[in-house]
Amino acid sequence: MNWKKFFIAFIAAFVFIFIFEWIFHGIVLKETYAALPPGLMRPAEEFMKHFFHWLVLGQLVFVFFFTMIFASFAGGGGAGAGARYGILVALLGFGANLIQFAVHPLTTRVLGFWGIGGLIELAIAGAIIGAIYKPSSHTTT
Amino acid sequence: MKRFIVAFLAAYIFIFFWGWLLNGVLLKDVYAQTPNLWRSQSEMMSLFHWIIIGQALVVFAFVMIYASGFAGGGVIAGIRLGILLEIAAIGMRMGFYAVQPFPGNLIVYGSVGGLIEMIIVGAIVGAIYKPGAPSFPPGPS
Repeated sequence: MNWKKFFIAFIAAFVFIFIFEWIFHGIVLKETYAALPPGLMRPAEEFMKHFFHWLVLGQLVFVFFFTMIFASFAGGGGAGAGARYGILVALLGFGANLIQFAVHPLTTRVLGFWGIGGLIELAIAGAIIGAIYKPSSHTTT
Repeated sequence: MKRFIVAFLAAYIFIFFWGWLLNGVLLKDVYAQTPNLWRSQSEMMSLFHWIIIGQALVVFAFVMIYASGFAGGGVIAGIRLGILLEIAAIGMRMGFYAVQPFPGNLIVYGSVGGLIEMIIVGAIVGAIYKPGAPSFPPGPS
């Protein structure tokens, strides 16, 4: 494992995911979430005061292991391989979203946005990781 | 391709029954404590096909990721992929905990159940799937 490249890829992907999710969930989908049944989402003030750190911690955990999987087993494939890996993880996540839709009172609009947003987000995050991470090279002369 | 389909079907059958046991039996009383977060039983049953499709998508993506980057590693590599993907999923679950009023114990039970599920799915896929040529160039771990 090339740890220096790993950490650069991890930080770059985390910064992208943090900003993307803030724009996507905090701005683009704000009205859509407001139309959901009362009690399904935490009130904004409660989220900001008491739960925001869970969101950041969760993103850190997700991106760390998302990067780890690529670097451990598929590193060196470049941005294209990274994007393909991101799309596969997004498909897995969308499968989980479909199950959530069946059991939580979410709308098809939320489900559709999550599917499209997740695909764009993880394809780009995967491409970032693929472009940055390179396996350690041992050259002999 | 044949082994891909057999691995997919075997993992899908396991995940279907595990999902039913964990969510439909073991955690039933925990879910009952937060009725505002869930659809009614009859509504869930009318959307049951989305659970089937969602589980199929999760398993399909898992086998695709395994076949792309982890092929040839057998049961241990499958388990390793399952663990890494589930820890990434725990990160996502922490994000949902931040924005939706889930009780903390439900997040913990769901994460433990998810870890067991993904370890077994990884073992099943790793035991059955045998590689052709990997799509990702395998990197040193």
